Amino acid sequence: MKPPPFAYLAAGSLDEAISALAAGDGEARLLAGGQSLMPMLNFRLLQPGLLISLNRIPGLGGITENGGGLRIGALTRHAELERSPLVARHFPVLGAAMEHVAHLAIRNRGTIGGSLCHADPAAELPMLMCLLDAGITAQGPAGERTLAAAEFFLGALTTALAEDEIVTAIELPALAEGCGWGFEEMARRSGDFALAGAAAIISLTGDRVSEARLAVMGAHPTPLRVAAAEALLRDQTIDEDTVRAAAEAAAAAVEPDNDLHASADYRRHLIGVLTARVLRAALRRAQGETP
Amino acid sequence: MEIEVRPGLIGARVQRLEDPRLLTGHGTYVDDLQLPGTLHLAFRRSDHGHARIIAIDTEEAAAMPGVAAVVTAADIADGVKPYRATSRMPDYHPTTLPVLAADKVRYVGEPVVAVLAENRYLAEDAAEQVAIDYDPLPTVIDPEAAAQPGAPVLHEEIGSNVILSRSFSRGDVEAALAGAPVRVAGRFRMHRKTPAAMENRAYLADYDQGRRALTLYSSTQVPGIVRDSLAEILDIPGNRLRVIAPDVGGGFGGKTPLYGEEVLVCHLARKLGRPVKWCADRLEDLTTTSQAFDEIVEAELACDGDGTILGLRAEVIGDIGAYSIYPYTAALEPVQVISFLPGPYRVPSYHGAVKGVATSKALTGAYRGVGRPISTFAMERLVDMAARELSLDPLEMRRRNMVRAEEFPYKTPVGLVWDRAGFMECLDGAAAAADYDGLRAEQARARADGRWFGIGLASYAELTGLGSRISAAPGMPVNTGTETASIRIDATGAVTAAFGIASHGQGLETTLAQVVAEELGVRVEDVEVVHGDSDAVAHSTGTYASRSTILAGGAATLSARALRQQVVEAAAHLLEAAQADIEVADGAIRVAGTDRAMSFPELAKAVFVEMGRLPRELREQVDLQVTKTYDPYFGTTAPATHLAVVEIDPETYRVAIRRYVVAEDCGRIINPMIADGQVHGGVAQGIGAALYEEVVYDDEGQILTASLVDYLVPTAAEIPEMEVLHLEIETEANIGGFRGLGEGGTIGAPAALANAVTDALAPLGIDIDELPVTPDRLFRLIREANKDEN
Ligand SMILES: Cc1cc2nc3c(=O)[nH]c(=O)nc-3n(C[C@H](O)[C@H](O)[C@H](O)COP(=O)(O)OP(=O)(O)OC[C@H]3O[C@@H](n4cnc5c(N)ncnc54)[C@H](O)[C@@H]3O)c2cc1C
Repeated sequence: MKPPPFAYLAAGSLDEAISALAAGDGEARLLAGGQSLMPMLNFRLLQPGLLISLNRIPGLGGITENGGGLRIGALTRHAELERSPLVARHFPVLGAAMEHVAHLAIRNRGTIGGSLCHADPAAELPMLMCLLDAGITAQGPAGERTLAAAEFFLGALTTALAEDEIVTAIELPALAEGCGWGFEEMARRSGDFALAGAAAIISLTGDRVSEARLAVMGAHPTPLRVAAAEALLRDQTIDEDTVRAAAEAAAAAVEPDNDLHASADYRRHLIGVLTARVLRAALRRAQGETP
Repeated sequence: MEIEVRPGLIGARVQRLEDPRLLTGHGTYVDDLQLPGTLHLAFRRSDHGHARIIAIDTEEAAAMPGVAAVVTAADIADGVKPYRATSRMPDYHPTTLPVLAADKVRYVGEPVVAVLAENRYLAEDAAEQVAIDYDPLPTVIDPEAAAQPGAPVLHEEIGSNVILSRSFSRGDVEAALAGAPVRVAGRFRMHRKTPAAMENRAYLADYDQGRRALTLYSSTQVPGIVRDSLAEILDIPGNRLRVIAPDVGGGFGGKTPLYGEEVLVCHLARKLGRPVKWCADRLEDLTTTSQAFDEIVEAELACDGDGTILGLRAEVIGDIGAYSIYPYTAALEPVQVISFLPGPYRVPSYHGAVKGVATSKALTGAYRGVGRPISTFAMERLVDMAARELSLDPLEMRRRNMVRAEEFPYKTPVGLVWDRAGFMECLDGAAAAADYDGLRAEQARARADGRWFGIGLASYAELTGLGSRISAAPGMPVNTGTETASIRIDATGAVTAAFGIASHGQGLETTLAQVVAEELGVRVEDVEVVHGDSDAVAHSTGTYASRSTILAGGAATLSARALRQQVVEAAAHLLEAAQADIEVADGAIRVAGTDRAMSFPELAKAVFVEMGRLPRELREQVDLQVTKTYDPYFGTTAPATHLAVVEIDPETYRVAIRRYVVAEDCGRIINPMIADGQVHGGVAQGIGAALYEEVVYDDEGQILTASLVDYLVPTAAEIPEMEVLHLEIETEANIGGFRGLGEGGTIGAPAALANAVTDALAPLGIDIDELPVTPDRLFRLIREANKDEN
């Protein structure tokens, strides 16, 4: 479990990283927190000729307010998201979810950019980005572009990012005032990738749902916004029957696989259970209660 | 309970003496040892479950930068004698253990080619370039299918995959079953587990060409066994062969066999004249360190109308993996399943039969608890099932059948003898500590609210600290029944106690120091414990099988007592007092009732340096060094009852352990803090076996659990608070009055949790007969139950 030989560049600027990546011609890899990349190197699943570290590039990390929302630098560590008062104020669902991402030592190194680009189907951040309608900004030799989270994740470990692009920042647009949220996941052990997870945002006007967002993970090749469930909730007064119907819609929307840790059927079952739980929690928060 | 007032050190919560070293990073593990000129070893291992080796091409690898040698089976035939685990057991077929596979591979991970290079990176780069041409053969994965005639055979010379068969009988079990008003039966399956010690296996061999002497630094639990075995395999006498186990980061049984990698580093160091090091990475650990707990138990229990057990019958299949492990043999684990199946109960008639079957998987061997976790799981499930048939409370069912105080010594159906131990005291102790009746009331309320709340009991008894009359493994030609302690006071007055056992987490540096200090009359911190070194004593095996406190502690007691007598004799002369008036305590030697006294350094000087202070004849008897060997001859019984309370989420099927109580009889306790730690760690591993850990192979023999992301060892977050009661029931089975407690936690926990989960699911009528009981297994069981309902 030793990596094969590789050259190493600690890029001092984004431009240096971009040109090294382009010059690498598919043989170069970006290194952020290394928490997903290093195991793959040690198992020799990847054999890049050059590793380009992003860790010394100034300005690539950090969380700032932007309009009513937040701009999060790609190199921001999971632990910073977990502890950030800005995240807690604007996107409490994100802050609350972070403690489920791996273990403390991994959260101290792992970055949001790395998590999104690695695109594990059971990773929390990709799902949350879909939930929060994030814009993912990437820069390459051809310039900068921003992709909607919903278009970014193409499959398990596959994204819409071009080989020579670097994710630089994530833009999270403001949420409606007073909305409620819910997050739930089921993992075998504390810190494991989840077998399945779900997150929801609900805004109420009176007792009617003005906005409903539901995202699920772990039971599909990509994180998924469940449009069918959202449609069932919109403009409704939510009761247990609506919750159940939305849960069923979510379970029907996913295409899980069998693997070592769970069968496809169990994963589908969990999506239903967790969807119902996050919807109840989001509703209660939107009603000003603590779930 | 009345606690005997012991001013002494035995029974004291002494802080672990090894901890400052280990916790501040000053421990020395094999990988920390850096010898100049060391070559690093990496392997090209089999990626087939069963295949013939057609050709091996090492040319490209040998030409890579930094590569010193590329070695195949053919290259080592001259210096390494073939070896295999023999046994006096009938119906057992040993298998020759190849250090490197020669003509066939029999499991994924089996070493085929060894590459030596200047560092491990280069060695792995070169190992990747070795080309091996295989002719794949059909694998044998399912042990029941592998036992059938016509199955593909792994070892042609044996002609069958059934490597061993054994049975025990008492009374007429068929008649007992036929006439019994209540019969319950089940098929119990526990899945394969791997020890996953924190430190992977690691070996460093250093050959001194001038002295023609070899030193092996090995992360082993058994330096004595490794030394004795290597002496034969490599043809080196013991006085030029030394095996040192430095600090070792856990073993749990996985470091008790002799491994081919150990043989190979020694052979190559001797051949090449350079130190050779191999440190397993986690992938190698999970694929090649000995695994365990892989049995299927089909068993039936018969009872009278009042719950009295009438008979027990069991057929066991043990999946032993590709070879019979050295030196314990593949019989070690599966035979213990039928040896201990009757548990702590009166079982008047019994028939237990076992087959050990070879499969295309890593070898199995000792793992904390050996056989008893499975036997206890099966028996304790049957006891609960019978109680349910009879509408008896599980606690009452156990009370009615457990061997009672007046029945000791009690001979079990397989001929083991339980000495007086706290069977019933543990059962009652656990029930009282947990407030059993209160728990049942709480359960009734929880059930009324639709919650899945379960209470599980598990009682067992085991034999610990085995003496020479009983072998640790059936028929094994290795003496595991004695241990030696060599204690000396040197010329500076310092005390060194040397042992052949090898502490690797158990805190034996502290507990043995407590025994020596108490018996000799010095302070704990005055005693330097030497262990894990084959040169420490003439013969030893090591630390495993809940034996070190009883055997090494016994040898320490004998040696320290004899040494104290020498101190008294010399001091009586020097202080001009009667021997009866000499007191030795806290490192000082005094004449009772006077202010005449001397220290150990003063005494040592008088004996070793200041010639003339002691008469010559006395000096011949008093040389301040004593070596004694202790043999407990039989074993010492150690019983316990575990009680688990679980709650299952009725939607996600997550199992939460709400309470965990252990009442165990450890005899005379040396250090309650260390005893707690042993129980906590053991239970944690039992929780792993019950809820999380499972080695999985696919049909091709590929191991799917080759990283700690896929092989789930519980973390601190999954382990509940535990309430541990130590009952100190006196025993005369060994000189110290101790009972072994290293393995017990792992024995009780799987059964207690299986019973608790079954109890929680009682409203659905689900029986847990397969461990680990994962959320996915629960999902399937519950779905089936709901289907049946509809
Ligand atoms: C034991 C363990 C448990 C874990 N559990 C979880 C869990 O429960 N949930 C979870 O979400 N994650 C989990 N992780 C993964 C962890 O969150 C990683 O930190 C994260 O997936 C990757 O982030 P990183 O910064 O370490 O990326 P790296 O490992 O450095 O990189 C990952 C990939 O992204 C690419 N990359 C990195 N940054 C950029 C960028 N800015 N632009 C373009 N490409 C980039 C790299 O080239 C590489 O291909 C776990 C990891 C471990 C080791």
